[in-house]
Amino acid sequence: MDREQLCMLKELMALEFTVLEFHLYLDTHPTDQRALMEYNSFVQQLSVLKRQYQDRYGPLTWQEPSAYPWQWINEPWPWEICYE
Amino acid sequence: MWIYEKKLQYPAKVGRANVQMAKYLITQYGGPDGELAASMRYLTQRYHMPTPQAKGILTDIGTEELAHLEIIATLVYKLMDRASLEEIKAAGLGAYYADHDRGLYYVNGEGVPWTAAYIQSKGDPVADLHEDMAAEEKARATYEWLIDLSDDPDLNDTLRFLREREIVHFQRFGEALQIVHEYLDSKKYF
Amino acid sequence: MFTPNDQMRLARAYVPFQIFSKRLEPMEGLLKGTIFPELYFPYQRHKK
Ligand SMILES: [Fe+2]
Repeated sequence: MDREQLCMLKELMALEFTVLEFHLYLDTHPTDQRALMEYNSFVQQLSVLKRQYQDRYGPLTWQEPSAYPWQWINEPWPWEICYE
Repeated sequence: MWIYEKKLQYPAKVGRANVQMAKYLITQYGGPDGELAASMRYLTQRYHMPTPQAKGILTDIGTEELAHLEIIATLVYKLMDRASLEEIKAAGLGAYYADHDRGLYYVNGEGVPWTAAYIQSKGDPVADLHEDMAAEEKARATYEWLIDLSDDPDLNDTLRFLREREIVHFQRFGEALQIVHEYLDSKKYF
Repeated sequence: MFTPNDQMRLARAYVPFQIFSKRLEPMEGLLKGTIFPELYFPYQRHKK
């Protein structure tokens, strides 16, 4: 995996992690409007970045269109990536 | 249902192959306070939670624990992958090798396979949430002992991430417990 | 030791509710394991 892709992948991890943290917080604080606003704004940012990443490097999840041949099985799989 | 995302939650690094650490770490894969136990515990307890907040938090933390299971698998895989047979024997993993080669199996550090007896599902939301909070503390403690055992800064970086998650999970279960108590109390007076 | 207030009763465990105020930037949050500074309690190695 080249530098550029790795860098983008880490950005994606960071945004997705922020969304997860707000998600768990909102599970027990469903009426916190400020947290909900932040959540919605990060969801928006994440979906933009995810779209860019998948357009460039292939699907991250199912129900995504694929170029030929079937891209889902392309290596590396997550445990094979050198994250340094 | 569940949907797989083809990425890790955290960039799991190891500095060097280290079979001895793999042997210690695998307890967080298939041990009593490991990530498989955590995930299976929360996902099976959620059906008897009385409030939407508690159903949600058990579903979502149970799902996050699966992401942690994948991180542990990645670490063990990387620690073992390039190890020689000599190193495997020296680390006391000869018996593991005989059964699994370098394949991943759900065992604790002593090779005991995972069992559902590690978890409980009492059907009582207060009792179950207390178990969940205790489970988070036990997992936190396990990560601390693992960090003590390891001198690999890259590995410890990921272990510190996983340890911190247990603290956040404890907080969320604690909040869910208060919500459940309030709900149960409110049902008593009418 | 803390003194219970009148909303608390004996024989019950209490975890104070988090009240969201500030958050870390996404990358810093990821590296720390939480985006909430008030929940960040890093491990100090035990002397053994
Ligand atoms: Fe956890």
